[in-house]
Amino acid sequence: MSSCSSPWSTMDGNQNDICGQSANLTSNPLYYQFGLDNPLFGMGIQQPFPPSTSPFGASSSTNIPHMDWKPAMMLDNLTFIEEKIRQVKDVIRSMVDNGGQLPGRTGDIVQQQQAVNADLTCLIVQLISTAGSLLPSLKNSSFLSHPPAGHMDMANHVGSSSSMVPYTTISEENNEVMCSPEDYDELFKGLTDGTVEGGIEIDNVLVEEQDTKDGDEGGDAGMDGENLLPGSYELLQLEKDEILAPHTHFCSICGKGFKRDANLRMHMRGHGDEYKSPAALAKPPRDASTEHAMVKRYSCPFVGCKRNKLHKNFQPLKTILCMKNHYKRSHCEKSYTCSQCHTKKFSVLADLKTHEKHCGHVKWLCSCGTSFSRKDKLFAHVALFQGHTPALPSEESKVSDQVGRVGSHQEPAKLTSSMGSFMWDNSSGDDTVLDIKGLDSCGDDFLSTANFGSFNFSFGPLDEIKGNPSEGSFAMLPSEHFQSVREKGEN
Amino acid sequence: MSREGQRLGCGGAGGIGIGVLSLDMLGQVLDRLREPRDHKACRLVSHALERAEAAHRRALRALRREPLPRLLRAFPALEQLDLSACASLDDASLAAAVAGADLGIRRVCLARASGVGWRGLEALVAACPRLEAVDLSHCVGAGDREAAALAAAAGLRELRLDKCLGVTDMGLAKVAVGCPRLEKLSVKWCREISDIGVDLLAKKCRELRSLDISYLQVGNGSLKSISYLGKLEELAMVACSCIDDEGLELLSKGSNSLQTVDVSRCDHVTSQGLASLIHGHNFLQKLHAADCLHEIGQCFLSKLATLKETLTVLKLDGLEVSVSLLEAIGEGCDNLVEIGLSKCSGVTDEGISSLVARCSHLRTIDLTCCNLITNNALDLIADNCKMVECLRLESCSLINEKGLDWIATCCPNLKEIDLTDCGVNDAALQPLAKCSELLILKLGLCSSISDKGLAFISSNCGKLVELDLYRCNSVTDDGLAALVNGCKKIKLLNLCYCNKITDGGLIHLGSLEELTNLELRCLARITGIGISSIAIGCKSLIELDLKHCYSVDDAGLWALARYALNLRQLTISYCQVTGLGLCHLLSSLRSLQDIKMVHLSWVSIEGFEMALRVTCGRLKKLKMLSGLKTVLSPELLQMLQSCGCRIRWVNKPLVYKD
Repeated sequence: MSSCSSPWSTMDGNQNDICGQSANLTSNPLYYQFGLDNPLFGMGIQQPFPPSTSPFGASSSTNIPHMDWKPAMMLDNLTFIEEKIRQVKDVIRSMVDNGGQLPGRTGDIVQQQQAVNADLTCLIVQLISTAGSLLPSLKNSSFLSHPPAGHMDMANHVGSSSSMVPYTTISEENNEVMCSPEDYDELFKGLTDGTVEGGIEIDNVLVEEQDTKDGDEGGDAGMDGENLLPGSYELLQLEKDEILAPHTHFCSICGKGFKRDANLRMHMRGHGDEYKSPAALAKPPRDASTEHAMVKRYSCPFVGCKRNKLHKNFQPLKTILCMKNHYKRSHCEKSYTCSQCHTKKFSVLADLKTHEKHCGHVKWLCSCGTSFSRKDKLFAHVALFQGHTPALPSEESKVSDQVGRVGSHQEPAKLTSSMGSFMWDNSSGDDTVLDIKGLDSCGDDFLSTANFGSFNFSFGPLDEIKGNPSEGSFAMLPSEHFQSVREKGEN
Repeated sequence: MSREGQRLGCGGAGGIGIGVLSLDMLGQVLDRLREPRDHKACRLVSHALERAEAAHRRALRALRREPLPRLLRAFPALEQLDLSACASLDDASLAAAVAGADLGIRRVCLARASGVGWRGLEALVAACPRLEAVDLSHCVGAGDREAAALAAAAGLRELRLDKCLGVTDMGLAKVAVGCPRLEKLSVKWCREISDIGVDLLAKKCRELRSLDISYLQVGNGSLKSISYLGKLEELAMVACSCIDDEGLELLSKGSNSLQTVDVSRCDHVTSQGLASLIHGHNFLQKLHAADCLHEIGQCFLSKLATLKETLTVLKLDGLEVSVSLLEAIGEGCDNLVEIGLSKCSGVTDEGISSLVARCSHLRTIDLTCCNLITNNALDLIADNCKMVECLRLESCSLINEKGLDWIATCCPNLKEIDLTDCGVNDAALQPLAKCSELLILKLGLCSSISDKGLAFISSNCGKLVELDLYRCNSVTDDGLAALVNGCKKIKLLNLCYCNKITDGGLIHLGSLEELTNLELRCLARITGIGISSIAIGCKSLIELDLKHCYSVDDAGLWALARYALNLRQLTISYCQVTGLGLCHLLSSLRSLQDIKMVHLSWVSIEGFEMALRVTCGRLKKLKMLSGLKTVLSPELLQMLQSCGCRIRWVNKPLVYKD
């Protein structure tokens, strides 16, 4: 759990785990579970997305006014959680000691896993309910109107949430859940049966947000057209490692991760006939209560960013996907380099793919260095700005003139090209293994080692295009040629 | 040497008489000389005049690249440079010629200089800071990069990019951004240019007065953009098939000051569109609507009447006209100077009568293929339009000497008359001889014209510049003898298929010093002797066609190689020449840029290979049998193409004609 606070190690851990490496298991039980088939973990991650859907009841919003905050009960809960964690740890440790087998796929340990799963479920529910009971009190103290104090509180919560119970802060309190441990099984069942809408909501959100991701960087897109007063919406801030986590839906049986619940449901068919029923495959209906729920907005965890709630002109992000993309684009390394032009870099894989669709086609470039995917856009730009002119694409003859230039950039270009294909192979390989579309960060650790090439050498598009044709244009003509012509002229 | 030259050179021997005059004065004198030959005479006769010329010469037409650097330095006052005929001009030679010089050149013509690319143009632009006009037309290899090189000349006012096939919107945009003061632009045949480019052009070059977008695939959107060009006076959009009435309406709503519009061969333009165009531009002077209209609506005619005062040129070629239409035009536009009714069906004497009744200012009347008209029409024209200068009557086979007699009597200013295929005879030429101003006479396919007729012409038409005797196969050597007696100014002469002509006739032609273009196709009797006398005598010869002259052999080529130093275009297909003669010809003729040599059965592959190698990249056009494509060495073909040479491969059987 402690390691979760450092985002990069988390990434690596995730990555390794996905790749089936068990090296981290001893040091980091979380990832073990991650690799294990822990349905709740998956569900736990889902939970933040459904706005205002509580897994624990029909309509959580109605409960809020009646809740009250009991320290004694809280303490009980925490003690219980502690105890439970210790038990689970023991079980897992014994599993590790038994031979450090690869988790997940072998039948022997399935039973053990299920036991662990049950325990973890229990833990999560407990934590959720405990923390959930806390939330309204925070609200009551109107933390939103006093950001610093509220922020600290919030950050703490979110920080702790990054592991087992990630998004407790957002789920509303539900007294009924808290009472009996027996309920947990039922709850678990409910979760896995899909009676609780979580995943599907996320699915919707994800799908919807695909379209809005472009606007994310625009600066105002997060609150585009809407004028939400502070406090009129629920503000959430995820930690970096959560933002960068690759998947949000995990198979409760084999642990495979998916970005979309629909894909998960398709995958589940392979685990038995019970998942093939139309009911299991159908998209769970949207909960009516969500309609009336409070609007959610997101804050970027990067302090100083305009999207961070501490910023004085804070503009919240509309959706979780907005936030993910914003965070990656603005605060992460651009580790995907286009394998064709070796110039453009992206931090979001989908951006790279979008770019690669067009890269290699005729690019419409302006002398100012701006490139356009369409000619009319370039011409509109040129028409607008005085002195700007379309840049002609480089020509072979032109390049060969500039011998010096070629010498200086050809090498790295080749380097990255090989690197590019290397990366590409890997990420696409992951793609097929994991059956994930638009897998966001699977290439990350390949990139982090491979980056040196693409990062060290960077030349703007203009280096190639503009050049200065007047100098050295005639370099390829032998000087004798001129000489002879001059002589002829003088004779 | 002309009269002026002689007069000026009179103090010649030491140049003392002239030497006392100041350079300015002598410059003034030289400015008044018209013929380049006279300049040369003056230069040779006096040092003073030579110095004056060096200081004052404004225009230069270079024929070879070698002396170019020296010439540019010898004439510091040069403002116009014509390199269109400069053989084997390429980037390196052009750059070397202008290198380091600060030239005051304002206008450069590089038409058909296909060897010049962007490097040469960049050097030229850099060396000529005052460049105002560039003609790059027919450099088919030129593209965006060349346009971009020209765009560096910020002061450019005129630019012709006709048939620069590689120029796209990008190149046009470069020019539009780089040359904001552009006033005249022609992008005819630059098929890659689209609405987007034209739109940007219209936004950036607000000074445009003349624009030619003929043969572009641009649509009405372009016309909308163009309509905002407030200073636009001339717009040509020949064969823009994507433009229709809607576009013309958009154009009419704009703010231009259009005076000349050419919508010829725009298939989708109707008289309705033209009516709306006229509605928006009440001061239209010239309207070219050839081959685009199928019928004329009443609205167009009523609008046409609103141009009564201004309209001077109206071309309606290919339209089905009626008497009433011509009457309406005649009444509506009585200031017409030029009317084009070429290939208009339904043009009758009656129609001509109602047209010319009020259009007394007509100078050019094109009645090509209006084969219903008779002598009556000519009489009416002669009676009403005394100012007529140009009369095109091709295929009007109902006319004869009587009509022409009245024309010749009443229209002393007649400068050009086309009687091709009119079936006229010698009797018709007798009255025409009255037209002493005649410059162009076309008598093609009038097979009854004989030596007698030529004698009439020669007797009084001393200014004749162009004579077309295509298939006048009654003409013999004697006729040519008579012709060269009187018409010494002839520059263009077509004697194709006049198969009675022999070497004797060519020997007469040798006295035509100013002859530039000579076509002798299918004169089977002429041999190397005749060719020799032409080569020696016609020093200005630029183009020579000897196709199917079966008796011409190496001797003819040797003569051409030795004497026809200005020869630029040559056709020797089917001649009995050998590889040796061809080699010698191609290595000697330093101005030769275009050669057609199909079916030279006596030339071996090695002969072709050698001959083409010695051209050293001078050739810009080449026509050969396609069978040679595979046997000639690839390097050779590559070399030719890299020098800007376009090779046309033909595949046709060897057929001997008489």
